[in-house]
Amino acid sequence: MKQHLQRQSGVANVEVSLIDGKVNVTPKEDGQIEPAQLLKATYDSGVTVAELDMTASGTIVKDTSGNLSLQIKPNQSFVISPSELSKGLEPLVGLATVVTVRGQLYKKPVGKQKKADNSAPLKLLILEVKKE
Amino acid sequence: MNRKHLALLLLAGCVFVVPKLEAQIKHIEMRVEGMT
Repeated sequence: MKQHLQRQSGVANVEVSLIDGKVNVTPKEDGQIEPAQLLKATYDSGVTVAELDMTASGTIVKDTSGNLSLQIKPNQSFVISPSELSKGLEPLVGLATVVTVRGQLYKKPVGKQKKADNSAPLKLLILEVKKE
Repeated sequence: MNRKHLALLLLAGCVFVVPKLEAQIKHIEMRVEGMT
């Protein structure tokens, strides 16, 4: 699995902890990492992803449907799931302020459905807004 | 003229030297199952 992940574009380093089943991925500073590709690469290596958390910096924008999104690059943004924490980001919509957040992008569905639905866009559930 | 060049040089220096909080994915952590 480690080799699978390290081959993905934008990945600088992968650390795997067999004891607690944690995989830490460090992106390259100037590269573009795609969390959905990491999910797919992990599944392709025969391992089930239970949860994927991401720490990222970006600006807060509203998409055409009115959803709050974290824009990281002009071609990379994540729709933010509505929550108490996301409400606190609303005043930043349209501003150039860069915020750093930690959020959950994927959680394995409970029940029989085991495989991730790769076609569905990943939604970011904000867990923490970091102070810079 | 020289002052103008010096001011422009200082301005350019500030733009490049002052650290900027860049938009990027900083870290990804996955919890996985079935790993041997």
